[in-house]
Amino acid sequence: MMTEDFEPVTDTVEEQAPVEACTKCTACNTVCPVARNTEIFRGPKLLGPESERFRIPQEPSVVAGLDLCSGCKLCEVTCPSQVSIQTYIRRAQNKGARERGRTLRDFLLGHTRLLGTFGSLTAPLANLGNRNPLLRWFMERFVGIHRKRPLPRYQFLTFERWHRRHPRPVRARRKVAYFYGCWVNYNERRLGEMVVAILERNGIEVVVPRQQCCGIPAVVNSNTDLARKYGVQNVRLLAPLAGEMDIVASSTSCGLMLKHDYSHLLDIPGAEPLGARTYDICEYLWMLHEAKELDLDFQPVPMRVLYHAPCHLKSHGIGYPAMRLLRLVPGVKVEEVDEGCCGISGTFGVKVEKYDLSMKIGSRLFAAVKAAGSDAVLADCETCRMQVEHGAGASSAHPVEILARAYGYR
Amino acid sequence: MKTDLAVVGGGLAALTAARAIQRSDREVVLVWPGLSSLYFLYATIDVLGYADAGAAEPVDDPGAAVAGLIKDQPSHPYARAGRPALEGGTKMLLEWLREAGLVWEGTLARNVLLPTATGTPKPSCLVPASMAAGDLRRADPIVLCGFHGYQDFAPELAAANLRRSWRTGNQVSAIRIAAPGFDADRLFTSIDLARSFEDRGFRAEVANRMRRQISGDGVRVGLPAVLGLTRAEEVYADFETALGYPVFEIPTVPPSVAALRLFDRLRKHLQETGVELFWNAPAHAATVTEGRCTRILLKSAGREQPIEARAYVLALEDWVDGALRAGVHLVRDPFFGRVIAEHAVPSQRTAESIFGVQPYAQLGYPVTDRLQPADETGRPLADNVFVAGGAIAGYDPSGTKSRGGMAIATGYRAAMEAMAAA
Amino acid sequence: MPDLSTGVVVIGGGSTGAGVLRDLAMRGIDAVLVEKGDLASGTTGRSHGLLHSGGRYCVNDLQAAIECVEEGRILRKIARTTIEDTGGYFVSVTDEDREWEPRFVEGCRQAGITCERISVEEARRREPALSRHVRTAFWLPEDGHLDPFFLVLANTESARRRGARVMTYTEVVGFSRAGDRVTGVRLRDVMSGAETAIACQAVINATGAWSGLVARLLGVEVRVVPVKGVMVVLSHRLAHAAINRCHKPGDGDIVVPALSVAILGTTSAKVPHPEVLPIEWDEVRRMIEEGALMLDGVTTARAMRAYAGVRPLYDLGAEAEGREMSRNFAVIDHEVRDGVKGLTSIVGGKVTTYRLMAERVVDLVARRLGVGNPCTTADVPISDHDDSLDQLRHRPAQLGVPKPHSGEHPLEPLLCECEMVRPRDAAPWFADPAVRTLEDVRRRTRAGMGPCQAAICSYRLAARLVTDRGLDGSQATRAMADFLETRWRGVRHVFWGSQLRQAQVGTGLQMELFNLDRQLAIDGDRPETREPRLPSRRPVPAEARG
Repeated sequence: MMTEDFEPVTDTVEEQAPVEACTKCTACNTVCPVARNTEIFRGPKLLGPESERFRIPQEPSVVAGLDLCSGCKLCEVTCPSQVSIQTYIRRAQNKGARERGRTLRDFLLGHTRLLGTFGSLTAPLANLGNRNPLLRWFMERFVGIHRKRPLPRYQFLTFERWHRRHPRPVRARRKVAYFYGCWVNYNERRLGEMVVAILERNGIEVVVPRQQCCGIPAVVNSNTDLARKYGVQNVRLLAPLAGEMDIVASSTSCGLMLKHDYSHLLDIPGAEPLGARTYDICEYLWMLHEAKELDLDFQPVPMRVLYHAPCHLKSHGIGYPAMRLLRLVPGVKVEEVDEGCCGISGTFGVKVEKYDLSMKIGSRLFAAVKAAGSDAVLADCETCRMQVEHGAGASSAHPVEILARAYGYR
Repeated sequence: MKTDLAVVGGGLAALTAARAIQRSDREVVLVWPGLSSLYFLYATIDVLGYADAGAAEPVDDPGAAVAGLIKDQPSHPYARAGRPALEGGTKMLLEWLREAGLVWEGTLARNVLLPTATGTPKPSCLVPASMAAGDLRRADPIVLCGFHGYQDFAPELAAANLRRSWRTGNQVSAIRIAAPGFDADRLFTSIDLARSFEDRGFRAEVANRMRRQISGDGVRVGLPAVLGLTRAEEVYADFETALGYPVFEIPTVPPSVAALRLFDRLRKHLQETGVELFWNAPAHAATVTEGRCTRILLKSAGREQPIEARAYVLALEDWVDGALRAGVHLVRDPFFGRVIAEHAVPSQRTAESIFGVQPYAQLGYPVTDRLQPADETGRPLADNVFVAGGAIAGYDPSGTKSRGGMAIATGYRAAMEAMAAA
Repeated sequence: MPDLSTGVVVIGGGSTGAGVLRDLAMRGIDAVLVEKGDLASGTTGRSHGLLHSGGRYCVNDLQAAIECVEEGRILRKIARTTIEDTGGYFVSVTDEDREWEPRFVEGCRQAGITCERISVEEARRREPALSRHVRTAFWLPEDGHLDPFFLVLANTESARRRGARVMTYTEVVGFSRAGDRVTGVRLRDVMSGAETAIACQAVINATGAWSGLVARLLGVEVRVVPVKGVMVVLSHRLAHAAINRCHKPGDGDIVVPALSVAILGTTSAKVPHPEVLPIEWDEVRRMIEEGALMLDGVTTARAMRAYAGVRPLYDLGAEAEGREMSRNFAVIDHEVRDGVKGLTSIVGGKVTTYRLMAERVVDLVARRLGVGNPCTTADVPISDHDDSLDQLRHRPAQLGVPKPHSGEHPLEPLLCECEMVRPRDAAPWFADPAVRTLEDVRRRTRAGMGPCQAAICSYRLAARLVTDRGLDGSQATRAMADFLETRWRGVRHVFWGSQLRQAQVGTGLQMELFNLDRQLAIDGDRPETREPRLPSRRPVPAEARG
């Protein structure tokens, strides 16, 4: 009745290997930034594959300790067996939140677009409020946002509205769709403008499709249900485009959601073809370079910069395309500062009970950044940049900013 | 992604190969499938502990013993890698460790005999300086110290065994102290202890508590390898001074701090010296055109991504990191897609005893004398691919305690060959 | 001269013996249980742990089915803590299965088994892993998982509290007789070799598959046929209810969710001796293939180990093989049948009906002893034993909640991380003289039963043998090695995929990190010369080795 050689797939190390593949080597616990900085965390091995064996769908989820996982994914990056540790943790967390009810903080932090819309509309006021000690005290007391954590500034003109007014290039070799994400839209429009400028400079028309939040804030705030809802919308909005053009993202975590987590963590039908055509912006520009399509007519940028690789970039499995690009620019002296996780992990380090831990995790990076001294710390991920600015007092930028300057952008 | 050379692997063989290439100022990317599941074995580097899996007496001069082995067994991976590769690789590694700020000791001419956590003497060749004082060829008395509530080092068990099995001396005692701030009934791991040891006050208090229990002159003190995670050299020196006795560390089960220090530091040093690391990118599927491998595929997020290099070093550790895949009956290699072995009955892969010589551990890539993966007739499958580490066929380092030396010799040789072929 | 005198000696520490001991104790009869290995180390501990609703027997053996129904209900009342109410499905996958269905439904009706036919869609909604081959599904809520270790422990502990004694690792080497009456047993400690004797008024032979061998010591024949069953353990539960094939009971037609694992069972083959239980590849393979017909993911799941158990089938003279024989039990009154006074055997049966078997045999023995107290085991709950299955299953919830802001550190350490065994779960057993090996600790705590098969916890356990038990280094190391070897014997048969990769990590730890192979050599203990840890009652006869 069965085939002659039944071949278990557990031995083929697939990208999403099941719980069975864990060999208890504990490599995940050794790199986990949280486990390395506090003894009150059991570590990804126990919370992921080991607890998974005891989880029963019909029974209430055990979530004790799950919220201490910051979602940096270094456990998965390090696992030689490709166990999808994060999937187990996030799904259990979501189930627990569904059963017990979601907190106001989780709701707020998970609804980035809602916050962003509100923040941009009331930008000057919101920014003032975010710096008001009394208001911050209230936010800490009643929402659980640590008062010392600087919150992102909102801008009145969103990227979406900016782009609507932005003239289309006359002639373009090809088109690419840009997944700008909530950060560029509400907080750092300039980064989006630079991405557009760089791509246009290389003869590529930037299509800005309608899009929803990628869902990563919801994922790490115990709400994969909401993330899935967002993901389904994005797949519906973007998948038709993916038949015609590549999609680039300038936020590391947004890109990772589109590439990988939609199909693997959230099981969204039709997400795989979308993921297969999604690129990190630097990854995409390097591809252009390898295809000899990148305009190398750079002006010198005399800067000494440090590069911090975000944890989620490691999860992309694409190496360090930003470093490679930066080496093409005359005048730039780039050095990697490899001190692991910066500690913020999106919204993790914003929370009142995790702020100190987040700063402790980042302390080695801060010290290294301070010791090295530089004109700027470059990181692909926006919250890494926030953390480095806050913790090390350094100025920070996305790597494409250097490229934009080299192209003479402002 | 195009590159000059690509090294695939997450263990010592891969690090050795990447360093050898980087040192020659060649472009190299390290494709890292994750930390090798066996990372904890590289707390020390064992070149050849026993002449064969059944030998009772440890090897004294591993360099000479490997030379003898090369003469007697021309198809042994050590013979294929060659003695110069072992010597060159060892020399390079020791220099590298120094440059990277790690203090290690040892020479190929002599094994040291260090106590394990079960209290068994084990021959190792290269060891961190923080373990060297444990050498059992010396006779001075030993005090083994554990921590209440820390389960991964049991001084009582180790001392009980060491008293019997240590022929040179026999004065061994076991003590335990409470680690300051750690409750014996609450969870803590070697990593938590190591982190705390980086605090001067903690070290001083541990030293105080230990001193109160240690008596006798001329003793040395062994404790689990938890003396610092990232600044281990400084932590060790300071702690030894504070304690006032020679101190040595004993490696533990995972999470192994000793091995982590080595891997963390060397990996980081590679990055500092310009080696690009591809994290989270398990590799497979080599494309061979006209006898040369033109690309391998990485399983990146979202899609398979080609690495196009002029030569490749496959430096994987057998089964644990995917160098070989075992189905119920078939063993396959995921790079060239060949069936390496077939077993009608899966238990044929094993010995009856867990401590026996395991047929499965001998499986691997057949290689040419230049370490290229070979077909049944011994011809290379690709001229520009070279295999290093545990994935080479015909060899099981467990019985002879030679995993580290093999990784160095084959990693070094494969790197040399790859540079020549690129 | 006897060292001890008692009313009844119960031979055999499986579920039957433990049940008999408790029944005797509850009727006020002084009793001693002797077991040559550990409690539940024979048939009981090697069963797949299915608490039968009776559905499996309702066509072929109505009487057995009715007993299952009744006993299942009683056990849920008295042994609540050892049962997980998983419920079960009977599924049809072939035309033949479909033909069996009307007889099955009728059998359930006759036996009084709750059985509900549900749509395949509904069944799959509840158990998404049900395979695409499934054509019909019946829901039998009274199937369950009965933990055999905890059942036996619960019974013996309950009996001990009522004055009964338990002697493990004690084998019967002979009997003393006065004329046609058995007056005592002669015993030997299998580890120390020390001999003792107990004087008694009656002996109950509850040794299941070993009954014939024990009876032979008195020159009496008990025709019990040892039938081997091979089971495969998967590393996690694929389904959360028991899954049975709806057909004439055959090989590999049950998948039991047992705490953190799934057990595929079982084969059925007569063996010449209850301790000759080779695991054949074809049996392992058949378990997996048959399981895959009912559940998706069986072939791709991680098989952790295979093991073989032996069932005692009482030969009622039927010629038929294996399963055709009745699973019903029999009380053999050797006084009537063989003229040997004071000896009674209880043979056949199954774990689900252990209590009833005990009741029947104790009824007879009590009558002979002139004790008129009635059996109360069906009414008095076995509440003495603390470790409930429920607690085991919910271990992750008991490990403490970290509170990042308060500075509190409530997290408990773990001894075995796979099965989440805390040091304090194991500590009492190191003080219990009945516990002699790490396997015994495993049976009581589940340490070492997870995917890594003791690769890491064996060291921690060995350390405790020194600190908590006072063993010397060589004994503790030997115990560690024996524990690993025992695990290995099961792992070898499923040596592919993740379990093979796991083995490389495990042998790396033992051989390269600890140098354990050399430690054993230093102690003169070479693997090839190692004897099995527990000597058997007597050497396996040459003709039985066949």
